[in-house]
Amino acid sequence: MTKATYRSGTMLTAGFAALVLSGCITSRVEDAREGITGIEAGEAIVILAKSYHLGNETEDKYIRCIEDALSRGSRGLRVIPHRQFVDSLFPWFEPRTAPAETAGLPKLMQRPGVADRIAEQNVRYIVWLDGDTDRVAGGGSLSCAAGPGGGGCFGFAWWQNDADYNAAVWDLKGLDSAGSVTADVSGTSFLPALVVPIPLIARARAAACKGLADQLRDFIVDEPEV
Amino acid sequence: MRSLVGGALVAVFMAGCGANVTLDPVTIPAPLINPMPLSVAIRIPAEFEHYVHEDEVLGREKWRIDLGRSNAALFTQLFEFMFDDVTVLGPDDDASALSIDALIEPSIDAFEFSVPSQSKTEAYAVWIRYRLKIYDSGGTVYANWPLSAYGKSERFGLTGDEPLKRAAILAMRDAAALMIMNLDKSTAISALKDRPAVTVASSQSAGAAAQEEPPREKRPQLPKRREVALPPPGPVAGPAVLSMDGNEDESGENIPEGSSND
Repeated sequence: MTKATYRSGTMLTAGFAALVLSGCITSRVEDAREGITGIEAGEAIVILAKSYHLGNETEDKYIRCIEDALSRGSRGLRVIPHRQFVDSLFPWFEPRTAPAETAGLPKLMQRPGVADRIAEQNVRYIVWLDGDTDRVAGGGSLSCAAGPGGGGCFGFAWWQNDADYNAAVWDLKGLDSAGSVTADVSGTSFLPALVVPIPLIARARAAACKGLADQLRDFIVDEPEV
Repeated sequence: MRSLVGGALVAVFMAGCGANVTLDPVTIPAPLINPMPLSVAIRIPAEFEHYVHEDEVLGREKWRIDLGRSNAALFTQLFEFMFDDVTVLGPDDDASALSIDALIEPSIDAFEFSVPSQSKTEAYAVWIRYRLKIYDSGGTVYANWPLSAYGKSERFGLTGDEPLKRAAILAMRDAAALMIMNLDKSTAISALKDRPAVTVASSQSAGAAAQEEPPREKRPQLPKRREVALPPPGPVAGPAVLSMDGNEDESGENIPEGSSND
């Protein structure tokens, strides 16, 4: 067996294991367009979480995941890191002060330095993320024991995570809403154990990140189908 | 490798036992605002500069949060951005020789926090209730503005130290944003520009002056006074307090409730 064949075999095995060892995931990603989109070379987007003052609990790692997913690859967009953007426009995108709807954009742009700072960074779209990942159900029983001769686990546990996110896209060129993209992902993970626990994890948040980012890229870049 | 695993295990066990959290001085970005054309002094009381909060969560976890110089650093930076001219005074400094339009004295009324074991969420949250007392050039309390700030951070790392620090820093940024937006709206401090010094003859007149609605219109420009008579450091005697509580709802504050650490 050559080295290349061996490596390929290992990758196949790893891929198969990943496939077998993952839980069940169902996902639905949709968009609702309100206007024509498109992005020119050099224009950037920013991904922000809606204010936690309004009860939103979007995780920081989810924002970073979307940022990474959108900026990667040959179709990658220019994404400005959210903290850099918020700092550059302090205090107008703090949780307390950020505009809650597009009607607040004209007033925001009139504040000293705001329009210039946005123009310097060439930001075309702001994407507001809302939502989070929650454990909605779970059950089963699993017990582990260890002694001088060894240890082991026995039982079966499962849990279900729901990742529901909404991305509202604001077009800073027209100071208007361009539409929104939603991702609803449900993942059920299993943990059977017969001496050794075998986790079958459904990564609902990761699936919601990939699904939302792919759809968001298409939404922003592509013209609507006629 | 073994020591790393041991360290991680100790950290995991310690995570449920509270912690000592010490904040480094906070820096805020330069805000996009036009500074107010006022000359102010800010007096930092000793307890404000070394604020320590100790609490026992659910009777088990002991937390000690030392805000250190972070508040003093925040307010100093913020006011330097917000006003044309700022003089920073220590707790015992005499302001009477300064030619200023107003003296601002911040304090902390209350500090509260919640950790995941209390809130049954993944979040650490911090509430800080500040109070700004503003004295006019005559040494009278001109405005007394309480403001509540809130910061929240999700759980990260092995212990609660870093998320709690982050929540506290976000609460301070929230306070800064609130002051930028509403300081003048809530206290009418800009009306103190070049306002003539008024000698406080008695506590009665001082109280009456303070209970009046602060002037909302700019007064005619008068020659700048040469001397101001500001109160001595520490608590102000007498009833000269203009409470701005009634304006708080108008200030756009939107602070979640339920911050008790019981």
